[in-house]
Amino acid sequence: MAAEQKATTEEVKMDLFEDDDEFEEFEINQDWVENEEQVKEVGLQWEDDWDDDDVNDDFSHQLRKELETISAAKK
Amino acid sequence: MAYVSMGEAHRRITEYLNRFCGAVSYQDSPMLCRLLSFSSNSPSLLSLADALNVFQDASSLIRQSDKFSEYGEILAHLFRSLQSYRVGNLVEAYLAFENFANAFVQEFRNWESAWALEALYVVCYEIRILAEKADKELTSNGKSPEKLKAAGSLLMKVFGVLADPYLVFFFLKLYGKGPKRVGALYVTCQLFKTYFKLGTVNLCRSVIRSIETARIFDYEEFPRRDKVTYMYYTGRLEVFNENFPAADTKLSYALQHCNPKRERNIRMILKYLIPVKLSLGIIPKDELLQKYNLHEYMNVVQALRKGDLRLLRHALQEHEDRFLRSGVYLVLEKLELQVYQRLMKKIYIIQKLSDPARAHQLKLEVIAKALRWLEIDMDLDEVECIMTILIYKNLVKGYLAHKSKVVVLSKQDPFPKLNGKPVGS
Repeated sequence: MAAEQKATTEEVKMDLFEDDDEFEEFEINQDWVENEEQVKEVGLQWEDDWDDDDVNDDFSHQLRKELETISAAKK
Repeated sequence: MAYVSMGEAHRRITEYLNRFCGAVSYQDSPMLCRLLSFSSNSPSLLSLADALNVFQDASSLIRQSDKFSEYGEILAHLFRSLQSYRVGNLVEAYLAFENFANAFVQEFRNWESAWALEALYVVCYEIRILAEKADKELTSNGKSPEKLKAAGSLLMKVFGVLADPYLVFFFLKLYGKGPKRVGALYVTCQLFKTYFKLGTVNLCRSVIRSIETARIFDYEEFPRRDKVTYMYYTGRLEVFNENFPAADTKLSYALQHCNPKRERNIRMILKYLIPVKLSLGIIPKDELLQKYNLHEYMNVVQALRKGDLRLLRHALQEHEDRFLRSGVYLVLEKLELQVYQRLMKKIYIIQKLSDPARAHQLKLEVIAKALRWLEIDMDLDEVECIMTILIYKNLVKGYLAHKSKVVVLSKQDPFPKLNGKPVGS
């Protein structure tokens, strides 16, 4: 028990100063060439009109079946 | 440690001293950088360290020559640090380097142009890295880590030197070229890394204020690589503050201007940008998630697309530790409301298919049944509560007919899209 506790404390202490997402340093002497294509490409990886009226996926079909059992039960 | 004769040790130390003084005289910044990069563990620095440990009295060598003794204090601390570093005495190495850095910065202030700016960057970087190593040594000896915190204070001091308006105006007027203040963003980023590691991100506020409001800085002058890093960290802070439009702007800038070859950095940016975009009703394409190995977000995105509340809960649970560590858990949890909206919309569309005349009436009972199917147990009062929230936040347009336990949807645009704005704005 005591050994376990010590291990956890040590773990916590080591974890104390961590940032999983520390940005890697860029080379100081070199700037990189910005490729217009690449800049645009990154921008195109998002969708903002995904919220459509399509209910042809599996989830929607199952939902529909579920809702129909309610109305069936009522009748 | 290799064997070094006294003669060889003498030679190596003198060679370094000549290189150092030469670099300063000829304003050779790249050379100076190489001479100061301890953590690079370059063979020449390591062999110098061996020589110092053998020779033991480098100060006498320094004193022998006027050329060297001009930088006597700086060199003495530097040598002490390197010696300690070589034998794995990292706390001592840090302390000596701290003294070196203080002395170096004093010299830097007096040098006319900003020729040594890159060397100053190296010093700042080494301060942080040595402090981290020193803290590891302290904790492994059961002592309290405190060197990284000290490094933060030291970096703030350096920042203050670069932001010194007197220096800036004086030298700008006299020499015009290469003002030192453009170095301030690099130092700021080292500070960010320090504070994020320490968990004292509130301390970022004062530097940010200086960078963004002090008139001596022209943000456009800063080098792009520093701007990318700066936007990444300030973007993360905006995420913590749930200021999503600002987070979007900053993280998107970082993403667009980051060196495309640095995929790990791009992945980190996306790690924070994706929850932000989702909160604004924008979803990442699958290719993006695949390319940068961000699979933890796949089910979250699917849940939002479908209106699948069960999938969202499952996704949050599955990657709970990861999301908690990066601090995005709460942001993702709040997506629940948007998933509710999508589910309601699906129910509405399905109802329209079988009974278009009455589709705009959503019975609470029907909603409850759909939720139960998704393993969410709610009584009608709780369902009513959720629907009230959705209406209040403008995710659903309509009103609650409490007595008949029905949500009456607006005939026009009952499920308004976010259109890049956060919920409830």
